[in-house]
Amino acid sequence: MIKQTQHEQYQKLTQELRRGILVLAALSQLEEEKYGYALINSLAEKGLDIEQGTLYPLLRRLESQGLLQSEWNVEGSRPRRYYVISPEGTQTLEKLTGEWREITQVMEKLLAGIANKGE
Amino acid sequence: MNLLDRYIHEVGRHLPRKNRSDIQAELRSSFVDTLEDRFGQDASEEQTSELLKEFGQPRDVAASYHPQSQYLIGPTLYPIFRMVIWIVIAAVLGAQILAWGIGIFVDGDAFSVWEMLASLVASVPASLGWVVITFMILQYFDAKPDLENEPWDPTMLPEINPGQDTKRGELIVSLVFSTLILALVTLFPQWVGFITFPGGNFYPNPVILDYLTLIQVSLLATILMNIYLLWKGSWTFLTRVIKLGLDAFGVVILAFLIQGHNAWLAAKGSSSFTTWISSIGSNNWELVGMHAFRLAFVVAFIVTIIEIFATIFRMVRSKMASDVSAKDFVLKVE
Repeated sequence: MIKQTQHEQYQKLTQELRRGILVLAALSQLEEEKYGYALINSLAEKGLDIEQGTLYPLLRRLESQGLLQSEWNVEGSRPRRYYVISPEGTQTLEKLTGEWREITQVMEKLLAGIANKGE
Repeated sequence: MNLLDRYIHEVGRHLPRKNRSDIQAELRSSFVDTLEDRFGQDASEEQTSELLKEFGQPRDVAASYHPQSQYLIGPTLYPIFRMVIWIVIAAVLGAQILAWGIGIFVDGDAFSVWEMLASLVASVPASLGWVVITFMILQYFDAKPDLENEPWDPTMLPEINPGQDTKRGELIVSLVFSTLILALVTLFPQWVGFITFPGGNFYPNPVILDYLTLIQVSLLATILMNIYLLWKGSWTFLTRVIKLGLDAFGVVILAFLIQGHNAWLAAKGSSSFTTWISSIGSNNWELVGMHAFRLAFVVAFIVTIIEIFATIFRMVRSKMASDVSAKDFVLKVE
């Protein structure tokens, strides 16, 4: 029973840790326009698995914040909604990338002492 | 496909109206993409079902599209909501007790505990319901209790001074009490008076009715001040000055009332305290009642004057305290 809650807690913490990264990940892959499922695949190919139920609402949120633009494209086998990064999104992506690099450097230093334990 | 249609429809039921069909269309398109990618063009019912399970409960899927977590009453409004709830419960209970009291004495209603409980079961949830509805509307329009976005300066934080904090319990009692009296004199001025206990005859008090408007203004001002103080949680120089003003106003009204009673009693030839005793003996209940009112107003007059001095004392003390702490600060800096 206690093991279960610990596991749940771990999952929650992992989710929180990933939440911020997903924005950066999605923005980074949308310099070329993509529809939702294509983006999922492109992220998965590079090693980042993200659930569809997480990504699609995220894309809409980023669009409502002005970081993405989207439009329906009816040319393929079925209508698909394509997303692409907006000029504002590009600026944000640059800043976030800088921020991310700093964070990873600092975190590497912080975690250096326990690096072996984590692996 | 039938299963997918039902799924998309069910998700739509829980989606915000705005963008509903657009989100549904996108979900459908993404789902079919996934389905085809995994199982080819002719996916079976079982395969569709399997994938739908992976997508998750329609309700959960829809919930992830709501801009913020959905609250009936959100965390910003909740503390105020909780406070208002307690005030309303206190006011409803107070009003009920007052109504029963009047009912028993004026109409000679039989006293029944069951009836009391039954009417409470009806009135308390109804009142709370209105509070909830009001706060739901505030939440819907995203009302903010205070200007939280205002830039704040840590040095402007209120001083920690036990004497400056308002006593919430006292304020609520005073608020409920003033509201009940205001409601009584405004809605039922014909009931302002007194009832003789043996016999149950009712006598209106003509003097109070003469000064009704002044009394209402004073009560209303007190209510507003108490609400403001509850909101702010601590006294300031300005609120103390306003309290002084209101107390002074109260003293003036009380003086009028005492004088009015004096005149009324003098007209009946019974202005002194000793004639009160004899009027009890002679069963002249009207005189007894007016004497009792006068005595109550005299007590209130004295209490209010003491209050005024207490307020002045607190103002001086807090002024001195802030002077001292300012000096301490200067010394430390030097």
